Amino acid sequence: MSRSVAVGGALRRAPLAFPILLRMRIEAAPLLLLVPTAISLGSVSVYPILDGLWLSFRNTTLATRQDRFVGWLNYRLLAGDPDFWRAWRHTLEFTAISTLAETAIGLAMALLLVEWFVGRGLVRAAMLIPWAMPTVVTSKMFGWLFDGQNGLVNWLLRSLHLISRNIDWYGSPHTALPTIIFADVWKTTPFMALLLLAGLQTIPGSLLEAARVDGANAWQSFWRVRLPMLAPVLLIAAMFRALDAFRIFDLVYVLTGGGPADSTEVLSTLTYKTLFSALEFGYGSALSTAMFATEALMALGFGILIVRSMRRQAR
Amino acid sequence: MSKKESVTAVGADALSGGRPGRRAVLGGAALAGAGLLAGGRRARAAGRTELTFASAKFFGKETVAQVVESYNASQGRVHVSYVELPPPSDSTDVHQLLVQQLARRNGSPDVFTQDVIWIAEFAGAGWALPLDQEFGAEARKNYFPGVVQACTWGGKLTALPWFIDSGMLYYRTDILGATPVPETWDELVKIAQAAEKSGRARFGFLWQGKQAEVLVCDLVEFVTSNGGAILAPDGKTVLIDEPKSVAAVQFMRDTIDRYKITPEDVLSWDEEPSRRPFTAGQAVFLRNWSYVWTIAQDPKASSVVGKVGVAPLPHFPGGKSAACLGGYQYGVNASTKNRDAAIDFVGWMSSPATQLRFATSLGLAPTRPAVFDDPALARSQPFMQRLKPVFLGATPRPVTPKYAQVTLVLQSAVSRALVDGNVKQALAGAKQRISAIVSS
Repeated sequence: MSRSVAVGGALRRAPLAFPILLRMRIEAAPLLLLVPTAISLGSVSVYPILDGLWLSFRNTTLATRQDRFVGWLNYRLLAGDPDFWRAWRHTLEFTAISTLAETAIGLAMALLLVEWFVGRGLVRAAMLIPWAMPTVVTSKMFGWLFDGQNGLVNWLLRSLHLISRNIDWYGSPHTALPTIIFADVWKTTPFMALLLLAGLQTIPGSLLEAARVDGANAWQSFWRVRLPMLAPVLLIAAMFRALDAFRIFDLVYVLTGGGPADSTEVLSTLTYKTLFSALEFGYGSALSTAMFATEALMALGFGILIVRSMRRQAR
Repeated sequence: MSKKESVTAVGADALSGGRPGRRAVLGGAALAGAGLLAGGRRARAAGRTELTFASAKFFGKETVAQVVESYNASQGRVHVSYVELPPPSDSTDVHQLLVQQLARRNGSPDVFTQDVIWIAEFAGAGWALPLDQEFGAEARKNYFPGVVQACTWGGKLTALPWFIDSGMLYYRTDILGATPVPETWDELVKIAQAAEKSGRARFGFLWQGKQAEVLVCDLVEFVTSNGGAILAPDGKTVLIDEPKSVAAVQFMRDTIDRYKITPEDVLSWDEEPSRRPFTAGQAVFLRNWSYVWTIAQDPKASSVVGKVGVAPLPHFPGGKSAACLGGYQYGVNASTKNRDAAIDFVGWMSSPATQLRFATSLGLAPTRPAVFDDPALARSQPFMQRLKPVFLGATPRPVTPKYAQVTLVLQSAVSRALVDGNVKQALAGAKQRISAIVSS
């Protein structure tokens, strides 16, 4: 109690006696309030990133007890490592195809769900089930569905006479990655639909009405009104999805372990193997730094697109 | 309850007296608490050497902890505290925890258990105490030769055998009938093809081709049964691209492509997916570990109860049957401060009597052939007893401190060879990369 009075007194008197001190106090107070946030974010977010970066310049390997600064060696090895580039390509392929498919299908679902029909609330809730399932469960389920011998998908395709013999979905390098992408699209499309539905609901109904009055048909009002209005939300949702898809791990880990013949090896599984099976912390950190850099570039690209589309809308 | 009360009492007295400083009282209370908490054990372990023992989690009718307690009760010199690590299904975690602990070199844990494929790594890092003096050539003869080979690094015994598992051939007694169990791969192919042709089985022979550790296990078996090898005993010379190894991998592919006794699906199958069609009665032969037996005899999970036999895996002409060695083995921390006590403890843990107990109550197969002849084992684990000839062919995976890196290269290369059929090229590539790893 007495202390706060003293502070108040100092503040009132200060302008005359110590103007500099007062300014410092006023400036320091908000900064002091930020300290706890800075410390917590710094320790759980900034420090690990910097530490990972630092590790990527060392040859730290637990088992051989090497721990020396090696400069750019890990990155030079990385540049010439066919495994890394293969995984990098698979990851980009996975990210691009799954994000595109999820955005397109999610948009279609959102357009449907924004219209009123009986049982809409129920359908909106039910739609989220695939997304709410733990990915490991989804993985196991898709393991069974696409089982080469007794899977439901092969049985259906055979019954419909679309194929004459079973397809070895996970055992062939041609079908393994597409099957995993399919599983991911099934699982994550509802999430996209939800985000896009929220975006669609913010578009004023008056705009659509005005378009209708002007004689626009549904197709025209989608292309000319809804899609341009939705663009920023669409891009933000796609960015979230792409950055998330880039870290794909569980589906691959459970379903194929990266095989056959490395055809489904992605950056996360490769990094996991290097970091935690081989315990090569130095090289593994270089791998994850490369992942981080790629993601940063992707985010930058999306960021530019988002800012542009927002500016266009503001005009 | 009484402990808590007495601690409070000490604190309250001191406070009401008001004499000793606050810090002294708190310190006193903490000390009293610590003393009371540790009191029980200290009284029991008075004058005994304290050891810590870390092991992956295994259980059956008993737990590892109960066996350790028996050791504590059996003598008055050493007291062992057991630290339970995750189960072997999370072996990546177990490995990580052990490496972190051992790298500290502070002597804790004094004794640990390790997967056979880590032995060379730990020994190469200087974390495992060589045990040659205490367990000489005579003592080593009492174990399966393959296990001793896996426990030896740089000519020194750096691990002591605990239990064994290995690959083996499961076959359908009802389909084979009077036909003798195949001893060569040629015979296996013929029987499998005939069974497929007659419609008695959908698949001839199932094994594991998923790009995973199990693929290396299958590889070791095929290659060794042709007299080939992946790595020479010197740990430096890579032999995976030698003609015998190439022929063995070619045979793996031929089972799918040429003989058509194996479905293409094995390329994505590890243990369980390959086990299911077999216990569902769809296959003649299956390569798998010992756990399949229990499932095959369970009427709820299997349609082939009483129709399954087990034998050593076949071999190529001029080769010898080989079974990929698995299992956990004991190691003593090189930085232990209680060397003698640790050696006494592992000696007891690896003794015939303890191995028999692990076999009968935890289902872990002994690494001493002599224990297999014990009537007690025959009574409680009749199946395990029959595995003695299988385990005699147990072959370690490449023994090198860099195994973790070597296995990733092998998995990738062999998976590639099986998929595109370019065996020679894939294995030559693997040789190059493995040579670079083991020589660095």
